[in-house]
Amino acid sequence: MKQFRSMAYPYIIWICIMIVAPMLLIMMYAFTTKGNDVTTFRFTIQNFIKFFSDDIFVDVLRRSLLIAVITTIICFIIGYPTAYVIAKASGRKKIMLIMFVTIPTWINMLVRTYAWMGMLQNGGIISKLFSLIGIDNLNLLHTSFAVVLGMVYNFIPFMILQIYTSLSKMDYSLIEAANDLGANNFQTFIRVVFPLSLPGVISGITLVFLPAVSSFFIPKLLGGGQYVLIGNVIENEFLTSGDWNFGSAISIIMTIIIMVSMYITKKIDVGAKIEGGDAK
Amino acid sequence: MKKFIALTLSAMIIASVFTGCGSSASSDSSTNNESAANGNKTLKLYNWGEYIGDNVISDFEKQYGVNVISEYYDSNEMMYTKLQAGDEYDVIIPSDYMIERLIKEGMLQKLDKSKIPNLKNLYDGVKNLAFDPDNTYSVPYFWGSVGIVYNKNNVDKADLEKEGFGILKDTKYKGKIYMYDSERDSFMIALKNLGYSANTDNEDEIQKAYKWLQEVNDTMDPVYVTDEVIDNMANGMKDIAVSYSGDAAYIISQNPDMDYYCPKEGTNIWCDSMVIPKNAENPELANEFINYVLSYDAAYNNSETVGYASPNADVLKDMTSEGGEYANNNAYLPRSGYDKDEIYTDNEVLRQKLSELWIKVKAGK
Repeated sequence: MKQFRSMAYPYIIWICIMIVAPMLLIMMYAFTTKGNDVTTFRFTIQNFIKFFSDDIFVDVLRRSLLIAVITTIICFIIGYPTAYVIAKASGRKKIMLIMFVTIPTWINMLVRTYAWMGMLQNGGIISKLFSLIGIDNLNLLHTSFAVVLGMVYNFIPFMILQIYTSLSKMDYSLIEAANDLGANNFQTFIRVVFPLSLPGVISGITLVFLPAVSSFFIPKLLGGGQYVLIGNVIENEFLTSGDWNFGSAISIIMTIIIMVSMYITKKIDVGAKIEGGDAK
Repeated sequence: MKKFIALTLSAMIIASVFTGCGSSASSDSSTNNESAANGNKTLKLYNWGEYIGDNVISDFEKQYGVNVISEYYDSNEMMYTKLQAGDEYDVIIPSDYMIERLIKEGMLQKLDKSKIPNLKNLYDGVKNLAFDPDNTYSVPYFWGSVGIVYNKNNVDKADLEKEGFGILKDTKYKGKIYMYDSERDSFMIALKNLGYSANTDNEDEIQKAYKWLQEVNDTMDPVYVTDEVIDNMANGMKDIAVSYSGDAAYIISQNPDMDYYCPKEGTNIWCDSMVIPKNAENPELANEFINYVLSYDAAYNNSETVGYASPNADVLKDMTSEGGEYANNNAYLPRSGYDKDEIYTDNEVLRQKLSELWIKVKAGK
């Protein structure tokens, strides 16, 4: 076993360079500000005060979280039945269905989002279809609907594949046992299948929520600039304002929020495992 | 055998994914390879999007046997941040106030005028402007004004003449406007409409302009765009758009329902000029490129494609005289000699305030 341990070193070095060092830099930027002529850096928590004392930024944060939650819920509502159908399908059909879910992710996300712009805008294919049934000049681009649609579309494969994996790993004899003991299909699903698939659901939720809360190009392209989310504020601080300190502080705030939400989901995960044990 | 085929296929798929990424990231490097025979020299051009003639780069590459790599930016501020992060370019085309700042901060190098004989082609009106009095560092590329493009059928010209930039707050046109996603131009509009200078650093005036823009954002449902405004207005997607004169000229040439208006309260007259950063790798080639862009053919092709007023005196004359490309186009030639129009100057107080306030305007509601 020991001789394999050294094989982890490249990975550790990789982590140090690609994750630890940048995080330290962000921390350094977040707690400093451009100094005066004497010192180049001054330590401060001014950047954090600036964020929380301003209603507009707090509003943006709330809006980003809300959009991410809505996206996650929609992904779950659509994703779970889809994953269930895929897990139930057999052989060739199953492979085909999985292909259908994954193929779009082979194409660059940015390109796919641009495609949505063309379809959603007034005169695009969707508004043309609606004009056939008498609704003219429907403009869906630059609305919250477009932003949520773009996010659901881009992130739903993560949800489906996670749930599918945990559903297909499930021991089928448990379902048979439930049936033998007189549970109908609905009861079997609620009492056996769903609790056993919870780990997949939770990792699906994490994988959808995290990119959704920090996404910046989807609101930028589909929301038309006036739809500012927290990712856009960070982008603006780095690219346009050049205020890296404030941008880093917002990134740190986001990191903390994400870590807290991951901690909570992990708690739920542990709880679910215990319950799953009960079912056995 | 089956496994082998599967392996090859998956390798191809993975490869295609990566090439896909690669080309989307560098699809801007418009033409390479063309003159690879001679092309050990490369010019890195950092330019605005949709801001160069169809043939200018390919002709330059052919004529000089070099490669040109283009990258694009949306705003002067974005360009500045990238430049300051240490990225190297040979030629950049910033606006007046940004050039003033770059000169002040020592980020530009002087032009080698012996390599730019075509300086003699410059139109008198764009020579020796205040931000670079002797054209020591910069050579004009395009110039123009900021104004309003509007649909003649849906917007009452009387409203426009009465309200000026204030039409952007007229709820009659709610949901029908494009704002330009540029902090300096947006604040210019508000400041001018309130009767202040676009170069003010008075806290009170800036705050009032901030309120003005917030009102637009919160009540008018505007969409903030940059280059998309060109195609979208040409397709008549909205009725009113804040626009640069040259984009307007192009829009009008595509869609005769559109017209261009510069409000009476005054607007910004600007000049984007070519400069060579201090850290340029190929300053010699950069000087040659600047000289080439000033030639009649290149300047004509630029102006014809993009629609902005040419700095080349002959091109400007040919474009606007009878039978020229933009002879009857209201937007092509910026108005001159109107005393309420201003050229931006660089001002640190204003700059810092605007970058802080602009994202807050857009983030509202």
